Amino acid sequence: MVHALHEAHRVLKPNGLLLDLRPAAVHRRVGTAQDDGYRLLWVMREGFDDDRAADRAVASMTDEGWFKAEGLTRFACYRIMDTLDDFQVWLADFMNRGKVPSHDWLVQRLRRALEVAAAGTRIVVSAPLVLRVLRKP
Amino acid sequence: MTVRIDPEENEIRALKGVTDWHGKRVLEIGCGDGRLTRRLVRLGAVIHASDTDAGLIAKARKNLPKQFAKNIHYSVGQAERIDQPNESLDVVVFAWAL
Repeated sequence: MVHALHEAHRVLKPNGLLLDLRPAAVHRRVGTAQDDGYRLLWVMREGFDDDRAADRAVASMTDEGWFKAEGLTRFACYRIMDTLDDFQVWLADFMNRGKVPSHDWLVQRLRRALEVAAAGTRIVVSAPLVLRVLRKP
Repeated sequence: MTVRIDPEENEIRALKGVTDWHGKRVLEIGCGDGRLTRRLVRLGAVIHASDTDAGLIAKARKNLPKQFAKNIHYSVGQAERIDQPNESLDVVVFAWAL
């Protein structure tokens, strides 16, 4: 990560901006949404080792004076899926990245929830995003 | 199958508030299928977008709107070896990539 940040520093003009946009280290929430509201089904228990490593890399770059931290914004972000297949694609990717162990039971739980839900019910995965703004001196 | 990521566009709203993107030379690292790239280009930026996944870059190129073809350049690449000259870019975005 530090190497990537040094590369970014190399290609940036003086006074250029480095924007670090990624999910906050907050457990993702899985639920269903329909016209009459949202129903939370599960809070994921993913690890945040990668996020903390990225935080440390960014901090080392600012501590050493390669970049100056200018701001941090946090905001909501939703991934809305129309089908269980869509969710399974997302979950498989999430598991492949080592975030969580198998969650086949969650797929079954969602399947049951969708079977009794109104037509048009969507699956929602939510996690806030963080945008860090850094400037090359 | 339909997936909508950030339908409220909070992400692009936050990015828009950071700088005036018009005419800026931007590198987006971790562009994936170009979802964010297509939003950034509408702000007037010229974007070099890269990802390590060749399949996603192929998908991004396929989804590239013709009107923005001159302003988006996709490539397969790694953040540790950026194929750009020294001090040539106004903004570097790590898009879910650090």
